[in-house]
Amino acid sequence: MKKIKFAFSISLILLFVLSGCTNNLTISAENKDPFEILNRNIFTFNKTLDQNIVSPISAAYVRKMPLSVRKSVSNHLEWMNTPSTIVNSALQTDFENTILASAKFMLNGLSLGFYDFDNNETKITKKDFGSTLAKLNVPEGPFLMVPLLGPKTFRDFTGTLSDRQSLSNISSNSVNKLSLAEIPINLVDKRSKLAKNIQNIYESPDPYTKMKSYYIQNRRKNVYGDKYIEVKNNKLDMEFEKLLQ
Amino acid sequence: MKNFYNNLNFKKVLCITFFSFLFFQFLTFKSYSDNVKNGEVIVQKMIADAKKHAVKTIKLSPKERSLKIETLIKRFINLDFMARATTGSFWKKATNTQKEKYKSALLKQIVKTIEEHLNTLATLDYKPLKSEARGKKLIYVKGIIRDYSKKIPDVNLLWKLAKDKKGNFLVLDLEIEGISLVSSHKAETMAILRKNKGNFSALLKTFTNNK
Repeated sequence: MKKIKFAFSISLILLFVLSGCTNNLTISAENKDPFEILNRNIFTFNKTLDQNIVSPISAAYVRKMPLSVRKSVSNHLEWMNTPSTIVNSALQTDFENTILASAKFMLNGLSLGFYDFDNNETKITKKDFGSTLAKLNVPEGPFLMVPLLGPKTFRDFTGTLSDRQSLSNISSNSVNKLSLAEIPINLVDKRSKLAKNIQNIYESPDPYTKMKSYYIQNRRKNVYGDKYIEVKNNKLDMEFEKLLQ
Repeated sequence: MKNFYNNLNFKKVLCITFFSFLFFQFLTFKSYSDNVKNGEVIVQKMIADAKKHAVKTIKLSPKERSLKIETLIKRFINLDFMARATTGSFWKKATNTQKEKYKSALLKQIVKTIEEHLNTLATLDYKPLKSEARGKKLIYVKGIIRDYSKKIPDVNLLWKLAKDKKGNFLVLDLEIEGISLVSSHKAETMAILRKNKGNFSALLKTFTNNK
């Protein structure tokens, strides 16, 4: 336990040291990949693991399990992640999201999250510690390909570790064990949802770059929302107008 | 003439200037709104045609189906623009044959992506949301793909269009949930080109080997 806490503290310090190189949204991690060779090797490892183990299990899961069961499992996994959204929304002073997420968490808690009583009517923005760090203007840092976890930026990787650490600190031992047991289920569930996109990435000429580009664009949209989309589109508009001349 | 200037007082000049300004503003606004409307119509027609295609071509062989989709895409997208946008400054260094080969490879990639999603698209509904003119040439058409059975969450789409040299509106880029297809393709192409020191033949070879 002490080792984990030590590793976590070290990664937080490293985040601030490494992220010192960048300080705003315009400098993109898409262009900054100092660990590219290592990242590409980890990507190959993850891909092999995915194609040989995760993908067949995920395909079997989709084949054998009825849609209603898969939906319940998905709902439950989402419900298990809601405390992180509640805490991080509060930290980001997004009180509307905090209240909505708390209400939904309590309501769906009646079925341990397996059934969505709200029928997805209430739109909740998922928040994690990575997005809280972004709100505090902590830069993205370099792009990382993490074994088993996949693409992350240094900031978001720290956020993921922190979320897991804080969940294990506030919850009981049994909940911790349950959340650990749910990691592989979560992996299979997510893989089954993204099957087509992952296949599309694997079939492209440079799958590593495509995955990096998809991840960074999607992550920035989730973290910065419309502000990022506007900045990106303004930049693209200028490029397009030049090409159209 | 002198009489004319004597009769023209400051008030009249101000009125004429103001109304001329209003008139030109109206003309510009009308042309912008016409462009926005045309952009919307093109996107809706493209989606309707794609849906029709999905149903019509279901019994065809994969090769015939690809050919049909290729014809459909050529009608609605600006392939020349996409090829230039995804290769950046390296485009100018390529020979005409290389450019044509790259365009054909790019078209095949787009066809492949559409083929994968065409059957799913046929079962979903497209709802236009908002359209706007951006700058002098671009039109943004926003829409949403919705599954009323709620099996799939809503997907936000943003089409970027502009007129080609013949004056037809064509699609330049598509953003799916904020992910620009041109940007991701450009990142990929540039990575291959930089790795091969700008060698266009190497890029074409990578595309061919990937088929």
